Amino acid sequence: MSRMRVFIPEAGVWLSAACVSVCVLAMIGLLGILAVNGLTAFWPKPVESLRIDVGGQQHDLLAQILGQDGDVLILRGSEPTRIGEAYQRVRLAQIVARSIPTDVVEIELNDGRLLFARTDIALLQRTIAAHVSLRLPRDDASHGITLDADEIYRLRSANGDGYWQRFGEFASQLWRFLSTGPTAANPGGGILPALIGTVMLVLLMSVLVMPLGVLAAVYLHEQAASSRRARILRSAVNNLAGVPSIIYGLIGLALFVHQIGGSIDQLFYSERLPTPTFGSGGLLWAALTLALLTLPVVIGTTEEGLARVPQTLRDGSFALGATRAETLWHLLLPLARPALLTGLVLAIARAAGEVAPLMLVGVVKLAPAGVLDTQFPYLHPTREFMHLGYQVYDTALQGADAWRAEPRAYACALVLLLAVVALNLCAILLRNRLRARYRSLSY
Amino acid sequence: MPNDFSQPLNASVLPVMRTGLLAGKPLALQAQALNLFYGDRQILHALNLSVPARHVTALVGPSGCGKSTFLRCCNRLNDEVDGCRMSGNIQLAGSDIHGGELPVPELRRRVGMVFQKPNPFPLTVYDNVAYGLRLAGLRRRRELDERIESVLKVVGLWDEVATRLHEDALLLSSGQQQRLVIARALAVEPEILLMDEPASMLDPISTLRFEELVHQLAQRYTVLVVTHNMQQAARVADYTAFMYQGRVLEFGDTDSVFTNPQRRETEDYITGKFR
Repeated sequence: MSRMRVFIPEAGVWLSAACVSVCVLAMIGLLGILAVNGLTAFWPKPVESLRIDVGGQQHDLLAQILGQDGDVLILRGSEPTRIGEAYQRVRLAQIVARSIPTDVVEIELNDGRLLFARTDIALLQRTIAAHVSLRLPRDDASHGITLDADEIYRLRSANGDGYWQRFGEFASQLWRFLSTGPTAANPGGGILPALIGTVMLVLLMSVLVMPLGVLAAVYLHEQAASSRRARILRSAVNNLAGVPSIIYGLIGLALFVHQIGGSIDQLFYSERLPTPTFGSGGLLWAALTLALLTLPVVIGTTEEGLARVPQTLRDGSFALGATRAETLWHLLLPLARPALLTGLVLAIARAAGEVAPLMLVGVVKLAPAGVLDTQFPYLHPTREFMHLGYQVYDTALQGADAWRAEPRAYACALVLLLAVVALNLCAILLRNRLRARYRSLSY
Repeated sequence: MPNDFSQPLNASVLPVMRTGLLAGKPLALQAQALNLFYGDRQILHALNLSVPARHVTALVGPSGCGKSTFLRCCNRLNDEVDGCRMSGNIQLAGSDIHGGELPVPELRRRVGMVFQKPNPFPLTVYDNVAYGLRLAGLRRRRELDERIESVLKVVGLWDEVATRLHEDALLLSSGQQQRLVIARALAVEPEILLMDEPASMLDPISTLRFEELVHQLAQRYTVLVVTHNMQQAARVADYTAFMYQGRVLEFGDTDSVFTNPQRRETEDYITGKFR
C-alpha cells in the first residue's frame, strides 16, 4: 500500500523544513557543546614559567594557563598538599615575564594532583625506579616538596612534545578516562564502572520489562479486548506513563528494597543480618524500578503491534485448528516482533536517561565493588552501582574543583549520550532485520 | 497412509438421508433449526440444510442473507466473535459439533475453510502449509516435506513453487496465494472444505484453474462454496442452495435450481432482478 501524500502549500513546506532544521541544529549543537567542553580538557596544556610582581616583590611560578577573564589570567600551579588548591587569578599587568621552558616536568600523583618542576626528566625517572623519596627543586620560590616514589602516577615532559605527541597524549588521557575507575583517593578518575553500571542496568531492565509488558499487552488486547475492565486497565497504564519518575524511585525503595528485599533477607539471609543483602538498594531493584517506569511504553507499542495483525490472519489460524494460545504464540507474537522491539527501543531511550529514581534505589557516587567482575556469578545484582547520569549530577555539583569538575561532567554526559545511542542502535538494527522479514505485512 | 489422496474418508460412518432429493446419499453436514444473532440482530432464521458428502454444494443468495455467517457456524468460527449467540444444531458426520465429544480444534481440523481474500500467513510457502500440520503435532522434517509436496501437487501449485518453498508466500500471485491457502487447509486432511467466495478476488484464468480444482477436490472432499457468481455456481456445483434473509429457501441439484426454480425469489435472484 503506498503512503498517502498530503498536500502541503509552499509556505508550509518551508515552515516544516525550518522546523526540521531547528531540531537537527539543536541536536548537533548539543553534541558539539558536550564534545568541545568535554574533550578539550584532555588536550595537554603547556606549563608556562611566569614572573609575577606583587606589590614590588617579584616571584617565579610554574603554571598552566586555564583561561582568560578580561585582563585576568586564571592559572593552576603545583598542588603540593591537596587537589584544587592552586588556582590563582593574576592580572596581566602583574606579569613581568612569561616563557615556555622546555625542561618542565609534569608530575601526576595517584590522587590526581599535578606538580610542575624544572628538572631533568631522566634523572627523576631513575630516582623513582630506585624507589626512594624524591625532593623536587624549588621551582617557583614557594615550594620545595618531598615525594615518596610510590605516590607518583607518572611523569611527563610538559612542553617538549610536538603536535602528534600531544595528540597521542590526548588519546591516552581519553582512553584512561574511559578505561579506569575512580578511587577513594581520586574520585575524579575514570568512568568505566559507571559506564558498565549504566549498560548493565539498561540490559537488566530490558530483560525484566519485555516479558512483563508483552504479557500485560497480550492480556489487554487478546483476552480482555474491548471490555470495560480492559478500558479501565488501559487508561490506568497510560496514566502510569505520566507519573514523575522520582515517584517510581519511592515505590522502588518502599516496595522492592524495603518490603521484598527485606523479606528475602529475613527468609534466606538471616545469618548475615543486620547487614542487608537484598534489603538495600542495588542493581536489581534499580532495574526493576526502571522496568516499572518503562512498562507503559512497552504495553502500548505491543498492543499496537498486535492490533496491526489483520483479523483474516487470526481467522486463518483458528480455521486450521489453532487455539487462541497457539495462534498467539505461533502467529501473533512473531508478527508483532518489530513492534515489540520498537517498544524496547523506546524503553531503553527512556530508562537510560533516568537518574532521579535511581538515587533512591542504589546508585552511588563511588561503589566499593563493581557489578560486573571475574568472580562467579560475574554479575552481582544486589550490589550498589555507579551510573553515568548520576556521575554528571554529582560531578557538576561537587564544588571543590570546578576547573576539573566541569569538563568531567561534560565528558560523562557525552559518554552517556553515546552509550544510549549505541544501545538504541543495537535494538533498531535488530528490529530492522526483523522488519525486512515481515515487510509485506500490509493488508 | 496419510498421503493417499485417492481414497475417500470414512465413507461408511456418514448418516444417510432416507427420503427426498438426497435419498440414499451420505451426508457430511446437517444443520437443523439454526438461529443466530449478532447482538440483537438475528442473522439466521431456523435454517435447515443438509450437505451431501463428496459433492460440491453451492450456497447462493443476495448479499447479507447470512451465507458467510452460516459457513462460520460450521467450524464454530463465530465463537470468536463477541456478542454472537446461536441455537439449533449442526451435525458433522452424525455428531453434534456443540456436543462436547468434538473439541473445537479437532472440529476445525475436520472442517477446513478458505476465505474470500487469500490470507496466507506472512511466512514462507513451506511454513504456511506446515502451520496446521505442526499444530497437529507433526514435527519430523521428512514427513512434513512429503505431506507438503503431495498437497501442493493436489492444488497444482507444486510445479510453480517447488523451487520457491522457502520464499515469502506473499510474493506469490493472488491466484497462487488462493491455491496455497487451499493447500494449507487440505494439509490437515479435513472432511469438508468451506469456501467463502473463494474466486471473487481472482483473475479469469486463475478462476478457471480454481474451478477445475474444485471439481477435482469433490472426488474426495465435501465442498461447500459460497459464491456470487451464478455462472460459477452452475459450472462447479452439483447441488445449489438458495439463501434468502437467513433461510434456505430452495435446495436442489444445480440444474433444476437454475433452469426450473420453484420459488419466485430464486428466479428473481438468478435472473438478476435483485441482488
